[in-house]
Amino acid sequence: MIVELSFGIAAAVLLAYALVCAVRLGVGPTAADRAVALDTINTLVVAIMVLVGAAFDLMIIMDVALVYALLSFVGTLYIARYLEEGLR
Amino acid sequence: MTLWASLLTMSLVMTVVAGFLAVVLRDLLAAALALGAQGLFLSLAFYLLQAPDVAIAQAGIGAALTTAIFLLAIRKTRRKEEE
Repeated sequence: MIVELSFGIAAAVLLAYALVCAVRLGVGPTAADRAVALDTINTLVVAIMVLVGAAFDLMIIMDVALVYALLSFVGTLYIARYLEEGLR
Repeated sequence: MTLWASLLTMSLVMTVVAGFLAVVLRDLLAAALALGAQGLFLSLAFYLLQAPDVAIAQAGIGAALTTAIFLLAIRKTRRKEEE
């Protein structure tokens, strides 16, 4: 009970951090700010998925976090490639 | 309100916030990034509703691949939206 509660509270705190990063995604003056905010949100959501899977004791659904941790790299890679050569 | 319900509520609220940003922002690169964040929070909502295969599809296609395709399209066209 106490382990579940602490994992869940940690997930809620990380979700609040993701809200702060979403504010930066909205008001960020340059495109690099927004790219870093989106990448931070990616990492926070992967951590939230792992914490929720541990809190509800559902180890079978934790592979979503694995797949997304692999796939978010591709999105960040395309954003970085665009910022490097395609900024007009 | 249980912990699960509050997590689900927070992720749905952030889905709405990111979707609003994707509509409002005039810079198309920023709008594409906000759309990626919206797909990501929607994937988190699917995950909390214990639909892991839907969450995998939403995260892979909706968040990662769609952002990459939009960025390739913005590269071929203009970045700023005209009034």
